[in-house]
Amino acid sequence: MQKTVAQKVRLGIFVILGTTLLVSALYFIGNRQNLFGKNIELHSEFTNVNGLQLGNNVRYSGINVGTVKAINMIGQSRIVVSMFIEEKIAKRINKNAVATIGSDGLVGSMLINILPQEGTSPPIVSGDTIQSYTKIGANDILSTLSVTNENAAILTSDLLKITTKIIEGEGTISMLINDTTMAENLKLSVIELRRASSGANEAIRQLNGIIAGIDFDESVAGVLLNDSVSGEKVKKIITDLESSSGNIEMVSAQLDEYVSEMRAGEGAVNKLINDEVFAQNLDTTLLNLKEATNRLNTNMEALKHNFLFRGYFRKLERQKKKAERDSLKKLKK
Amino acid sequence: MKGPENIRSRAVSFFTEIGEISYFALRFFREVFRPPFEFRELIRQCYNIGNRSLLLVCVTGFILGLVFTLQSRPTLMEFGAESWMPSMVSISIVREIGPVIIALICAGRIGSGIGAELGSMRVTEQIDAMEVSGTNPFKYLVVTRIVATTLMLPLLIVIGDTVALLGSAMVENLKGAVSYQLYFNEVFDALKYSDIVPATIKSFFFGFAIGLVGCYKGYYCSKGTVGVGEASNAAVVYTSMLLFVIDFIAVFVTDIFFEVQ
Amino acid sequence: MKEDRSIAPVLELRALKKSFGDNHVLKGFDLQLHEGEILVVMGKSGSGKSVMIKCLVGLMQADAGVIRIKGYNITELGQTELDILRTEIGFLFQGSALYDSMTVRENLEFPLRHHKEKLRITETNEQLVLEALENVGLAEAIDLMPAELSGGMKRRVALARALILKPRIILYDEPTTGLDPITSKEIIHLMRNIQKKYKTSALIITHDVDCARVIADRIILLVDGVNYIEGTYQELIRSDDPKVQAFFKT
Repeated sequence: MQKTVAQKVRLGIFVILGTTLLVSALYFIGNRQNLFGKNIELHSEFTNVNGLQLGNNVRYSGINVGTVKAINMIGQSRIVVSMFIEEKIAKRINKNAVATIGSDGLVGSMLINILPQEGTSPPIVSGDTIQSYTKIGANDILSTLSVTNENAAILTSDLLKITTKIIEGEGTISMLINDTTMAENLKLSVIELRRASSGANEAIRQLNGIIAGIDFDESVAGVLLNDSVSGEKVKKIITDLESSSGNIEMVSAQLDEYVSEMRAGEGAVNKLINDEVFAQNLDTTLLNLKEATNRLNTNMEALKHNFLFRGYFRKLERQKKKAERDSLKKLKK
Repeated sequence: MKGPENIRSRAVSFFTEIGEISYFALRFFREVFRPPFEFRELIRQCYNIGNRSLLLVCVTGFILGLVFTLQSRPTLMEFGAESWMPSMVSISIVREIGPVIIALICAGRIGSGIGAELGSMRVTEQIDAMEVSGTNPFKYLVVTRIVATTLMLPLLIVIGDTVALLGSAMVENLKGAVSYQLYFNEVFDALKYSDIVPATIKSFFFGFAIGLVGCYKGYYCSKGTVGVGEASNAAVVYTSMLLFVIDFIAVFVTDIFFEVQ
Repeated sequence: MKEDRSIAPVLELRALKKSFGDNHVLKGFDLQLHEGEILVVMGKSGSGKSVMIKCLVGLMQADAGVIRIKGYNITELGQTELDILRTEIGFLFQGSALYDSMTVRENLEFPLRHHKEKLRITETNEQLVLEALENVGLAEAIDLMPAELSGGMKRRVALARALILKPRIILYDEPTTGLDPITSKEIIHLMRNIQKKYKTSALIITHDVDCARVIADRIILLVDGVNYIEGTYQELIRSDDPKVQAFFKT
């Protein structure tokens, strides 16, 4: 009887030993796969998972924090990877963290790396989806590298040109580098303004000459008989004058815009104010313009009073008004 | 005409044997759930089969892990994949080598033991004596032994696997300066339930096969003391063959249920 | 099937037939054992004595014939009823058939395991075991293993085991085989004492003439699978039949 008791005890020890080993093995494996303890679920979307498998590790800053629980294909190329993350670690992972797929060594199994990002963001909660970043494989790296090289070459040549321009460019250009359209516009305006004002001056000079040639005291018939050439000239002058005044109108409208912008001190224009040469030029132009217009007005008034031109001027006035309306309409548009 | 007849009679005896073993197994299942239960004898058999095989299994397991690791190291070192030793060794031992080697050892020790014991009981009329004394010898001798092997073998295999991994860890510790903790961390990293669960289920079947064939051969032993030797020998041979058949089926089934995810 | 028990034999075989392939061992054997009688069945080795006794307790299936124990036809009984009926029968095996893995005590307790309640035995196992061992004079061997016993002691322990349930019928299969003459005499003496003490019926199978002479009330000679001749020892040795003469002269 004693022997049987001893047998039972030893058998009991053996059975407990074996069962404990089996159960603890099962426990440790389960523990490794985070089957016990509290977990939260986290998702991330990829276009390529590079052979990731269920049960692969998830690492946060290099620490094993969970495992891959599901890989589901959504649509043509979207793959949602669900992960179980230990709850206590999950508190430390922020919502702006990025998931990437990597491998454990050169020939190791695949895993998911969660990388913390700069900036503040609340911690993840169960069911969250975090951003993913598809790491480039070795092949991709090589092809990208060659493209990058080409780009770099173009970039350096461009940069060279730009720097040359900056060096060559005058004050305004270099200042306006970042605002080429504006500078271009301004340049054009100034050129146009110059051209218009010089054109106007020319026309006025010619008109003055003709007017000086007309003897107001002489009879109308005399004038008409004596000078048919003069009449032709007058006609041409008046046409020129028309186009000139149209130009002037446009230029002054543009100028108004720029000036008001300048006064408001906006953007690059503001810097132009400090450019004395430009401002002086602008001032002179404006003065010229003013003078020319004044003279023109006087001449016109004189012409109008001349009965010979009265009918013509009336016609002209009508046409002008029409043109004005049209241009107004255009402007409004 | 002797050849074909010989083949025919061999085929007949082969299928007769299969049929008799099947009937024997059927009788086991009929009687195992029917009272009275021989608990004391079951415990005695569990002790005989489990505890008494423990040392053998431990020694074999330890050497198995030791040698397996020593032999695999150079190959893995060539690839620079020494760090894979724990996962490779643990998966091979837990999934396949451990259960099969330990089951074969137990077939040699337990299967032959059962065959010889029941065989000698048969030829010395002890089984008859039980029957006339109003005890069902099948229940008392066969059912207890088959249940005992079925229950004890998984435990022996778990212990054997553990000892084998300890042996392997020792080699890694001495040769590769891998700490025991790191070794077992990696082991548990590599192992999955789909490694342990099928292996454990498989080992129940191994235990059942060892008990069944040993008991069958012993219980129907004849021809006196010569028959006892034959029964013991046949028990080992048949069991070993059956173990590999079961292993093949188990791997096949495991593939279907555990690998395809 | 119930006849008057007091007159009817406790054990009856009628036209028992058993064959192994072409070897017809029993070809219609008849036997009747009466209450309190010691019947010896004698025959050469291989004459079918052991087969007969195994058919009798249901260890072998007879091909044909009727086996009745205490009026019950055993071929008509279920396993449970057969087990109960078997408790009425003690069986001493040829080679003792002690359970090697058990002590003497456990060997003796073995038949008690399932039947103590059914048989309304009130004594403890200890009492029964000691009583049985004292009957065979081996009380001191109670905690020994069978391997530690001599052949004669084994036979006595086996006898004690056969007696433990206090059966009404005891079957002896070659009780003196393999024993030296002195031990044989001791065993035969024991068998007689038990017979007197418990008033049991006994069926003894043997080829030992000395045994038959000392103990037999009646002898049946089994030759070629049938009862060749039947009578007391005195009657048989006076027989002129050459087959009987050949048997008793050697």
